[in-house]
Amino acid sequence: MKFQKKRAATKQGIPTSSMPDIIFMLLLFFMVATTLREQEVYVSFTLPEAKAIEKIENKRLISYIYVGKNGRIQIDDAIVQLKDIQDIMYKKRVALPNVIVSLRIDKNTNMGLVTDIQQALRKADARRINYSARMKE
Amino acid sequence: MIHLKRRKREGAGEFSTASMADITFLLLLFFLVSTVIDVDTGIGLTLPEYIPPEEQELAPLSKDRLAALLINENGDVLLNGEIIAIPQIQDNLIERIKSKIDLPKNKKLVVSIKTDRKTNYNLYIQALDEVKSAYFKVREEYALSHWGKKVKDLTDDQIKELREKIPIIISIAEPEQVK
Repeated sequence: MKFQKKRAATKQGIPTSSMPDIIFMLLLFFMVATTLREQEVYVSFTLPEAKAIEKIENKRLISYIYVGKNGRIQIDDAIVQLKDIQDIMYKKRVALPNVIVSLRIDKNTNMGLVTDIQQALRKADARRINYSARMKE
Repeated sequence: MIHLKRRKREGAGEFSTASMADITFLLLLFFLVSTVIDVDTGIGLTLPEYIPPEEQELAPLSKDRLAALLINENGDVLLNGEIIAIPQIQDNLIERIKSKIDLPKNKKLVVSIKTDRKTNYNLYIQALDEVKSAYFKVREEYALSHWGKKVKDLTDDQIKELREKIPIIISIAEPEQVK
């Protein structure tokens, strides 16, 4: 006697018709979360580490100043001189009154340079700053 | 009579959606690769207003309000004239901050940080971090004992009160002229 295998009447296989929807959803998430890197960083630096750090909520307000290992300073897309910082930051401050200046400074920089930058920022009246640091484990 | 038969194509007016998933995958991949979910973290601070040296006035500050931190180029730290190590700053300050919680606004602790021009930036951040940690710890403790909640769960009014009770006052000393 031959046994007949019992088969479920329903078709096997996962319906794939909703796949594009799912992927669209993922896509939308990434599109919203993306900030395209708008500027290239020319200086190399290692950020210091700290424990008591906070997140900056509003990314649109941030303006970066990079200071590299060799003491070069970059604002936006260009390497600038120390004496130019005041003018540049003043213009930014006029355009965006509550600008937050994020200082991304290499950890082996001398405080002299940092102080000079801070003095320039004070003169430009861009006084909200943030010492960028990584989370210490 | 000739019967004209309309020719009907089968499956007309439809296009296949099978490749839709592939196209979306491609887009998804592009955004995945180009995304930088990079939240800027760091230690926030508000610099004092710039006042030209001629117009500066020295505001007297009583000794018990002031915690003066000096960091020299060798990495030695002085807190009110005593040499201490950076990890000790936190414990030292916590007591002093706590003792001033119930004092009026103009008697709270002021932490002043002063560095040499050749001090390492990393050291300065470590010291600043310690000071901030001390304040955060006191705030956390205060919130827990008064409202039984963590700081991040407080309501806006409570946060306002907390900030009034334990304000973070960090003063970056005016740099000295280059010798």
